[in-house]
Amino acid sequence: MTAQSAKATQPIWCPGCGDFGVLAAVKKAALNQKIATHDLVLVGGIGCSGSIHNFLEVNGIHALHGRLLAQAVGIKLANPGLTVVAAGGDGDGYAIGMGHFVHAFKKNASIVYLVMNNETYGLTKGQASPTSQIGFEGNVESPFDAILTALSIPAPNFIARAFSGDPKSMTAILEEALRFTRDGRGFAFVEDLSPCVTYNDTYKLWREKVIDVATLPGYDPSDRTSTFRLCLEQMRAGRIPIGVMHRPKESTQDGLEVKLLGTRPGPVRTDIRLETNRPQYEKLLASVA
Amino acid sequence: MPVGPAPGAGAGAIELSDVSVMIGGQGGDGTLTVSDLLGRYFRKQGLYVYTSRNVLSRIRGGHADASVRASRDPIAAVKAHVDCLVAFDQEAIDLGRPELAPHGFVLYDSTAFRTEVPNSVGFPFATLVGGPLGQPIFKNTAAYGALSVVFGFDPGKTREVIEERFRRRGEAALEKNLKALEIGRQAASDTAGVAHRFSLLGGEAHDLVLTTGNQAVALGFVVGGGRFFAGYPITPATEIMEYLQRYLPPVDGVVRQAEDELAAINMVIGASYAGARAMTSTSGPGLSLMTEGIGHAGTAEVPVVVADCQRVGPSTGEPTRHEQSDLAHLVNLGHGEYPRFILAPSSPVDAFGITVEALNLADRWRLPVILLLDQALCQNTIASPRFDLGAVKIDRGQRISAEEAPKLEQYKAYQVTEDGPSPFAPPGTPGLWSQVTGNEHDEWGHVSVNRANRVRMMRKRMGKLAKAQPELPPGRLFGPATAKVGLVGYGSTSGPILEAQTALASGGVPTRYYQARTIFPVPVHELDPFLAAVDVAYVVEHNYTGQYGRLLRESLPWHHAKLRSILKFDGDSFRAPEIVERVREARP
Repeated sequence: MTAQSAKATQPIWCPGCGDFGVLAAVKKAALNQKIATHDLVLVGGIGCSGSIHNFLEVNGIHALHGRLLAQAVGIKLANPGLTVVAAGGDGDGYAIGMGHFVHAFKKNASIVYLVMNNETYGLTKGQASPTSQIGFEGNVESPFDAILTALSIPAPNFIARAFSGDPKSMTAILEEALRFTRDGRGFAFVEDLSPCVTYNDTYKLWREKVIDVATLPGYDPSDRTSTFRLCLEQMRAGRIPIGVMHRPKESTQDGLEVKLLGTRPGPVRTDIRLETNRPQYEKLLASVA
Repeated sequence: MPVGPAPGAGAGAIELSDVSVMIGGQGGDGTLTVSDLLGRYFRKQGLYVYTSRNVLSRIRGGHADASVRASRDPIAAVKAHVDCLVAFDQEAIDLGRPELAPHGFVLYDSTAFRTEVPNSVGFPFATLVGGPLGQPIFKNTAAYGALSVVFGFDPGKTREVIEERFRRRGEAALEKNLKALEIGRQAASDTAGVAHRFSLLGGEAHDLVLTTGNQAVALGFVVGGGRFFAGYPITPATEIMEYLQRYLPPVDGVVRQAEDELAAINMVIGASYAGARAMTSTSGPGLSLMTEGIGHAGTAEVPVVVADCQRVGPSTGEPTRHEQSDLAHLVNLGHGEYPRFILAPSSPVDAFGITVEALNLADRWRLPVILLLDQALCQNTIASPRFDLGAVKIDRGQRISAEEAPKLEQYKAYQVTEDGPSPFAPPGTPGLWSQVTGNEHDEWGHVSVNRANRVRMMRKRMGKLAKAQPELPPGRLFGPATAKVGLVGYGSTSGPILEAQTALASGGVPTRYYQARTIFPVPVHELDPFLAAVDVAYVVEHNYTGQYGRLLRESLPWHHAKLRSILKFDGDSFRAPEIVERVREARP
């Protein structure tokens, strides 16, 4: 018999919100990958998107604003057997959480980080966010581009951008991200363009502007330099590049948890009983001189 | 050749059973090495040892000094007077001279400067070693050699100490240090009036180890089953992380140096949610950054242990200096209300045991436990009884195992129980999933703003404080129950308070000392009878506003009039006579 754990609740999102597409894609990708619900952990940020774990029947931890990546890395390093997906918004990840965002690429723990970018703070009613265009709600600061930042950090990560208006490719990208992390290859970053229908309804605009980098001449996802240039060129031409931006050529297990622990069980699954460890502890205590 | 006023001709050896040597010089002069060597020698002689250091927050340069105290009786405080001063710069003389005992003897490096202070002898240590060894840096070992003559050390044991200390640096380094030792010994032996200025009354051999509070916390964490640590370098807490970088990987543990303290506490929360025993350590500025995370752990009911090594604050304050001024912040830590335990060990052995207890209590009650430490306890070296596993027990609280999971009908991560904490199933427990959040939530972990639920959940969490009280580390009492003068303190003040008690008792003032080990929730059941039995109680602590005293007055208002404060906030730890004088001054 299986006990009843927390049931999924109804999403709090506005009808038509881009986050519904993300929720559906996460569900589908996880099912396709046959991940047991008890082995999947969703780490939610703060903001509309951060409640996503409540709408699925999986493990979920609702982190502090901006700190979801730190919690997700802690979970993965403590128990590498878990599949960890951190999901939050652009304010959470690129403003208050920016320090952890940049370090996540460098750390390269095998977790998926899904940012639902709507270029606004929806939950607090439409203020400018780090990705807002100039002119939005009086914004005069240059918009931040997460893909260019991600590409600038030379670490063996998986980097991609999807669009809620194209659920099929979003699911495919998420599935690849999940596989990447479950194979212990490292950090998988997926930015999803997820419009806020209430405060910044960009569906129509983005549908016109998105372009899959894989369709461009010279596309090579293992080469950061060319992808960086392709993205910049498209952005200058007023387009929004989407698709797989980086995928290391070699499929090596570069995940932080693999580097630290190899095949050893790690902090949660190791036996911490005193009886088991007594000889080793006695040696350790005797080393104090 | 030695210079300076000739030492008192024909002076007989002064017998000491409690000796203090201060060594001062420029950062990089190796003053800490001299204090380390002396400490090792004294311990070999069966003496209790306490060393403290006064360093600046910089890598090299600037004045740094260290003091070593050795005694036949257990000690855990700096001695009030210095018996022998070793000076590598003028500043050591300026700082050390006011602390010198009337019989105080000064050895100084005459390569660097000259001084006319009485009872001083200058040796050009840097020149003496610089010629034969090519580098003046061995002057510290030469000074140790000279000191061994001043104190009439056993030559064999003096040498053994050098071998133990330098062997791991390679044969060449060991050879040079042994030569420097001989150069120092020879110079001192050849100078009249230097040999045997002091004779140390040895004790019976004790099996003691030289350790610090920081090392004890790291060891306690490992044997208590701690397997995940994340931290950010900060004085005076960094050594906890450094020890764990050595201790944890061999037992399948993970240590991460995070990008900041925000990441450190949140990585710990993640690891603990996943089911690991997890801890971070920090000091004031880092604690301020972790405050939001600790509150999150409190309301999300995720067990975490946070070691706070208090230093002079606020802001960057004095990173290397001693203070106990985070207590008030910790008691009220963060916005909103949530339960937390604050435990304060008084010695390295106590820190070892209390760290294990902190891990158990955090798991058992599913909340943050703060280890309240201070710079002197964290970093001063003390000759301590060996750590042992005798009292170590591991209690993971109510965890739902893989075997139990299939027997459950339903699983609520925040189930309201009679006891307080809810049985928890970490992610990966077959068939179950746990949703946790820092938002107010119902028993399932779903976000809720229902008023009745809010009241119920607040009572569930806050009720842990009263329910847990009987399980928290009890305070300790010292001195006769009939004493009318009380002393109260926590952490490293234990050393000077115990010493002051002895001095006060021999001066006709018996005292009763309450050594607090649980700071919060305040153990009123212990403090009430203690305060009822005395006429006056002095709360001894290192801060300006008397933070612990204020907490006690608030918690035991009916004893308000009895509580007085003995405060010190100059960045240095108490010397026993300072406490003795303050108690005597206040006595009629």
